[in-house]
Amino acid sequence: MSKTVNGVVIDDTFAEAFGMSGTGIIITADTLKWARIAATVATGFGTSVIGCGAECGIDKELSPDETPDGRPGVRILIFGFSPDSLVPQIRNRIGQCVLTSPGSACYAGFTADKTIGLGKGPRLFGDGYQTAKKLGGTRYWRVPVMDGEFVIEEETGLTTDAVGGGNMLILGTDRAGLLETAEAAVDAIAKVDDVITPFPGGIVRSGSKVGAKYAGMFASTNDAFCPTLRGTVQKSELAPDTLAVLEIVIDGLTSKAVADAMRAGLKAVTDTGAKRGVTRITAGNYGGKLGQHHYHLKDLI
Amino acid sequence: MSGFTLRLKAPATERMTLSGITPAKLSALTAHEIARLDVGIEKGGLSLGDAFDISGSAGDVITIEGATSGLDFIGAGLDNGTIRVVGDAGSYAGRKMAGGKLEIHGNAAHFLASGSTGGMIHVWGNAGDNLGSMIPGDRFGMLGGITVVEGNTGSRAGDKMRRGVIVVRGKTGSHTGSRMIGGTIWAEGGIGPEPGLMMRRGTLIGPSVEKLLPTFVDTGKHDLVITRIISRYLKSALGDLAPKPMPLFVQKIGGDLATIGRGEILLPAA
Repeated sequence: MSKTVNGVVIDDTFAEAFGMSGTGIIITADTLKWARIAATVATGFGTSVIGCGAECGIDKELSPDETPDGRPGVRILIFGFSPDSLVPQIRNRIGQCVLTSPGSACYAGFTADKTIGLGKGPRLFGDGYQTAKKLGGTRYWRVPVMDGEFVIEEETGLTTDAVGGGNMLILGTDRAGLLETAEAAVDAIAKVDDVITPFPGGIVRSGSKVGAKYAGMFASTNDAFCPTLRGTVQKSELAPDTLAVLEIVIDGLTSKAVADAMRAGLKAVTDTGAKRGVTRITAGNYGGKLGQHHYHLKDLI
Repeated sequence: MSGFTLRLKAPATERMTLSGITPAKLSALTAHEIARLDVGIEKGGLSLGDAFDISGSAGDVITIEGATSGLDFIGAGLDNGTIRVVGDAGSYAGRKMAGGKLEIHGNAAHFLASGSTGGMIHVWGNAGDNLGSMIPGDRFGMLGGITVVEGNTGSRAGDKMRRGVIVVRGKTGSHTGSRMIGGTIWAEGGIGPEPGLMMRRGTLIGPSVEKLLPTFVDTGKHDLVITRIISRYLKSALGDLAPKPMPLFVQKIGGDLATIGRGEILLPAA
């Protein structure tokens, strides 16, 4: 039975999400501006594991008190299929995007028993001039660069209990109002720790179904939710007045964080959606057979 | 705070070695066994019970009262719990210490914290030569942990030191950080003459240095991220005992160029 909250219909369905490996990294710089720049570039082209190799995003900004070096920072999260697939992603993203960014430094942003290399690759840029400084249980590498030293922690924490693909689909009768509502939901989700929304601005307009008519395509357009195909495809999910659908995908270091994020997102949509033309919220799943994590919308409102 | 108290019966007739006299070890023994532990260095043997009045009960603290510089190897091999020394400690205190806390409410003689891998040593007085250094047969000096000396230190503090931090509230003696391989020595009262002889890596920090070796070079003024990290680490590990943070800009003196020269002496930038 679907439910209606503040005039928005919430389907009795669930978001199906997958187990992933994930890690957190803190990037600091002389100013928050430059920490943001390094973090934005390092998490770029990180929307979907299928094509990007990793799903990445900014979790939150950190005040100088919250970082190891007392400078402003940003915490990013990186998710991959497996720890092995994360290794080259971390090495390349940090090596190409953080090492290169003026004044940057890079630290573990997640504490766990399992660890994954952070500075193990980038330190070699030092060509033998790099030195290590071990303080307590933490080893920092100091790599001489042209504006001083790039400091990077040797390891960061790793979890294999991360969750990728928590999601919600927001349907509406007004494209601009729908986008505003989705933005509000992304903003609400951003306040939840340990989660990211990896797509552009946190929002996907090209939801996909599994498979395609073309060989080699793993995913293709979710025709049941394409408004321009309503009536012409075998099964359309859309009511006659639905003009557009936007999806929010959530990755989190823990299942609880993903559930909290979905709850925050749903609340933002139901609080303000109706007056912006939002009519319905549903979620993407594969019948429950593929993903280990199911988030029932009715449990989250 | 339960634990044993060992009160030295004066006067001692020979040097004593208190290696392995740790809270964990004494807690596992009966009073009779504790009293029979050999702490002498001569042929006849000297039992702990003959040298000390032993009181108290098993616990994670040992207090040594009336201590003198004739007691060597206090806290050697300590890995947890606390040893409080009221008085002076002899040489090799905290030797190969791996954890726990060694408090010396007096002076420590030579080779304090040699080969230690962890834990915290706090000396209220001065420390002798070769603090955190290697002894013959070792490959390295201090390998971890933190040592805080409120007074001054003798020469060659940190000889062959590889990891860990030494904080000296006073001045260090000559040749601080000789043959150093890594780690950090912070001398709040100033670094003694000719520091870093043959040092490969590692960091010496202080407000001034008495005389530099000719194989050290000034690399200029820098605002190093690592000095912020060291300061914050020491603040979290030591609280009020932590040294005052360095100014943003430091003068980095690199050396010893007689070796690979990756070591550094950091002074406040003029």
